[in-house]
Amino acid sequence: MSKAKDPRELIDRYLQAVRFWLPKSRKQEELIAELGEDLRSQVEEKEAEISRPINEAEVSEILKRCGAPMIVASRLGPKQHLIGPTLFPIYLFVLKMVLLWIQVPVFLFIVGPVNLASSGGNWGVAIAHTLGNLWSALFIAAGVITLVFAVLERTQVFVEINCKWDPSTLPPLEKQEFKTSSVQSVCDLAFGCIGLLWLLLVPSYPFLIFGPAAAFVKLGPIWHTFYWPIVLLSAMNVARAAIALARPQLDWFPKFSQLITTALTLILLRFLLDAAGVGTGLNWHPFVMLADNLMDSTHYLKIVAVVNASILLGLVGAWIGLCIAAPIQTWEFMSYLRKRSSGLHQIATLRVL
Amino acid sequence: MYVTYYMPNGSQASSELFENLKLELRRGCLTLAVLTQLRTERYGYTLRKALADDGLEIDEGTLYPLLRRLESQGLLVSQWREEDKRNKRFYRLSDQGEQILEQLLAEWQRINASLGKILQEA
Repeated sequence: MSKAKDPRELIDRYLQAVRFWLPKSRKQEELIAELGEDLRSQVEEKEAEISRPINEAEVSEILKRCGAPMIVASRLGPKQHLIGPTLFPIYLFVLKMVLLWIQVPVFLFIVGPVNLASSGGNWGVAIAHTLGNLWSALFIAAGVITLVFAVLERTQVFVEINCKWDPSTLPPLEKQEFKTSSVQSVCDLAFGCIGLLWLLLVPSYPFLIFGPAAAFVKLGPIWHTFYWPIVLLSAMNVARAAIALARPQLDWFPKFSQLITTALTLILLRFLLDAAGVGTGLNWHPFVMLADNLMDSTHYLKIVAVVNASILLGLVGAWIGLCIAAPIQTWEFMSYLRKRSSGLHQIATLRVL
Repeated sequence: MYVTYYMPNGSQASSELFENLKLELRRGCLTLAVLTQLRTERYGYTLRKALADDGLEIDEGTLYPLLRRLESQGLLVSQWREEDKRNKRFYRLSDQGEQILEQLLAEWQRINASLGKILQEA
């Protein structure tokens, strides 16, 4: 005949399960003994209350009220964390800085083009390689940063820094983000109109762009194709400034329109550089050339070559600048949208006094 | 003077916020209650019972780490002893604990009086 199971055995099984989740130490045994004592006292009290031996269901009820072994162990055991609350904001800042603001741009503007060049212009292969490399690099960097911060956490280096900090070394106040002022909008509109007018007058009055050199330099045929798109872009800028001035309540508009303008300018510049023959291996189409009556002047040819090189460098510089500006503007616009959708726009500031 | 209001959405967030604030409020009070109860020597279960009888329920997962922390801070002393054929860990206030408790109780009275005054004014 089998012996009836002691309902108190459930307590031992419970303690065994809690012990499993606790870090092994002398304290572990003490904690388990203390918890066991508490549970047995509860059982005794229950038995005194009901005037009979406790059954398994009633023990089970006590254990359920106490909590699941893993949860109880997490409360009983020492608080464990890889990176504590003091270091965590710094860790997050460094992680964002390295991953988003260093690695992603490096892969986008350096590794990506290098991969494109080494793959012989095959975009698919270049993108796949770059994304693969980027993923590995992000993973390794995140791991190394986490490891470094875990070590700092253990060595308590930041406690010393906290004792030594000096309020006078605090960074100056950041400028608050204000909406575009009406003065700025008026200036944008005025300078936009002047720029557009200047652009429209240039074909008739080359002096406006070349100055005294207009006597021996003229615009290359490449501008016949790109002149009107440039005028259109300039007109768009004027319209943008006008809308921003007329409807200041459209707080999304300046950021959004700036992003669109940057994208269109990038596309236009790309076509312009391609058409000029940069990086395509095709014939070079100069931006400026010698006036018809001076075609054989070696001296002027040198000047024209310098002017062409300067324009080319300027356009390439502008293209690189816009390539950097585009992700920043996208980020700013996305942050704006995120703030709007997260309900921060509901913050109500009331002037009480 | 500017006052900034933030309207959280949903009652779940509101109840979570209440639970967190309640936990914060309880934390300091529990320490004070435990130290006061341990002017008399007690073991874990009887301490929990005494607190619960006075209306301050505390679960095992909260009490035992708290006792351990207070002991490591030198405010409590403990001793394993056999009672009713079972080993039990008895806690009581240390000399340092007595002094700190007096200071804490004085501080508690001061806060309580201030709070009472503030609530009366409101």
